[in-house]
Amino acid sequence: MQNKVFTLITGSSEGLGKAFAIECAKRGMNLILVALPGPELLALATLIKTNYSVEVVCIARDLCKDESCTELLAEVTALNLQVNMLINNAGIGGTVLFEQGSPLLYERQIRLNVLATTLITRLFLPLLQQHGCSYILNVGSLASFFCLPKKHVYGATKSFVYFFSKSLREELRNSSVQVSVLCPGAINTNPALTLMNKTGNYISRLSVMNPEEVAQVALNGMFRGKEVIIPGRLNNYFMLLDKLLPTFFKKILTRSTMKKLDNNNRLSRYLLPAMATVPIPTSR
Amino acid sequence: MKVLVTGATGYIGHSLAMTLAKNGNLVHILVRNPNSTLIPQHPLIKVFTGDITKKETIIPAIENCDTVFHAAALVRSCTRRPTDFFDINVEGTRNMLDAALRAGLKKFVFTSTAGVIGPSLNKEMSEDDPRITGFDTDYELSKFLAEKLVKEYAHLGLHTVIAVATKVFGPGINTHPLICINSVIRRFISGRISFCPRPAHYVSNYVFIDDLVQGHLLAAANGRMGEKYILGGENISYVDFFEKLRFVSGMKGIVLPIPKWIAAIRGGLHFILHKLTGKDPFYNSKAVSLIYCNKSFTSDKAKNELGYSITPFTTALKQTIRSLIIESYAKQSIYPDYGVQ
Repeated sequence: MQNKVFTLITGSSEGLGKAFAIECAKRGMNLILVALPGPELLALATLIKTNYSVEVVCIARDLCKDESCTELLAEVTALNLQVNMLINNAGIGGTVLFEQGSPLLYERQIRLNVLATTLITRLFLPLLQQHGCSYILNVGSLASFFCLPKKHVYGATKSFVYFFSKSLREELRNSSVQVSVLCPGAINTNPALTLMNKTGNYISRLSVMNPEEVAQVALNGMFRGKEVIIPGRLNNYFMLLDKLLPTFFKKILTRSTMKKLDNNNRLSRYLLPAMATVPIPTSR
Repeated sequence: MKVLVTGATGYIGHSLAMTLAKNGNLVHILVRNPNSTLIPQHPLIKVFTGDITKKETIIPAIENCDTVFHAAALVRSCTRRPTDFFDINVEGTRNMLDAALRAGLKKFVFTSTAGVIGPSLNKEMSEDDPRITGFDTDYELSKFLAEKLVKEYAHLGLHTVIAVATKVFGPGINTHPLICINSVIRRFISGRISFCPRPAHYVSNYVFIDDLVQGHLLAAANGRMGEKYILGGENISYVDFFEKLRFVSGMKGIVLPIPKWIAAIRGGLHFILHKLTGKDPFYNSKAVSLIYCNKSFTSDKAKNELGYSITPFTTALKQTIRSLIIESYAKQSIYPDYGVQ
């Protein structure tokens, strides 16, 4: 097992992380999948192992908890696994009015999106540096460029990821470690978010991407050594517009879009039952 | 046995209701239009006028029944009101489940689609495999949410079973508005040019309608509470599909391979037409991605637990072609100018 190299993906049981895992397996990369404890992680690992001849190691861990990042490193070193690629994907999203969001949500968001990303990068950097060529891919968001209502804490944590990744890239310029940051727009990561993405206006609905497309673009970009990866043609136009348009105009646009979002919630009554995350006990 | 079948004016529901009636069951069917020409005709079939989206209209039909086969759904590539899929497929199912629970029914069989499980990778997918892509269409998403509801009702004490259909073909009424396998076969045997995705090595699962109907009956008889069973057929690539079609029909047939981007452009044009005229599109660019992927499934769980069995593809194809030829003759004699569709 010593001479095999692995790709570590955090938050890999659902959404983009799952798409990353499948896309990496397609490319013949061995995987260390880190996700919350639950049947989803094992089901994914089984699916990948039956379809591709790659090694899959599952580590069930809640990265919001103290010490979980150090424990993760300890477990990986105990298994004597070589890591040459790190995808910091785990994150908590959320679109909620600031006063309506629970303090616990914000705490978990900051812990996972900011702290876990930083700590895991720091802890695994020595392992990554042992290889002639290794990669770190941090998952940011398009929300780190736009100031959006209801995306306050989320946008700020993703801005952290963006800034952190770009700085680290500069620092590691002459080393073997390549750092990239992925800034995707809206993704159909899970059924509830897929429904929510449908409530937007026409243009924003067009910009929604599927996780498997994003994962493919992200990995291509990472291997080509791109600094900032923005998947989707429309999202790139948004960025271009952002650079060209004056600030006051952008503010007007954002406000009208958010207003429309509120009025356009025709599908919202299906959101509540879909969002209910009460796990259904399986009779298996 | 007294059963209720919804969606009996649809392709699967029609066959299901007829088979149940032929087996000597008293079959209630719930239809929106009692004068529809698509209503299955049999002395044991009793027609109730109603709509699954209107709760109160379900109650008279469901009274005194033992089993419900809920096969009604909106199957389209898109609709003008995007909430239609959720109103009919999710809320309609909730109404049915509610009524069934209240009426104290013994079994509730829900017809779903393999589209909920989604595309497959190199190997066959089974019931418990995670979905590997996002939800492309409102139809698949609505059926996913409906399945979730059906499972939840199993925990409330209703004996629900989910019967999952893959790509269905075989003799039956012609209602399916999406690209269906019957229309592909019909086109081929009529001698017109057939279209096939390129690369043509993508594998799909094809289930014969008779197998699917039998699977439904077995699911009602032997299905475990809250479980889901894939009722599929053989996994065949597009190349082999047309090869077998040639072999069985004895026709040469021209098959034109179409790359994904051409299909996507055509889908886009159909969508624009749909926006302009309001007519339902044949397919749209989202539906294209449903065709350009592997969709192979295993029915092992249904075989082991229900006693499900699969008719060999060529045998099923033979029967289908025979019925399609009879259908086209019937059309020609009734409407001489109509010709073969």
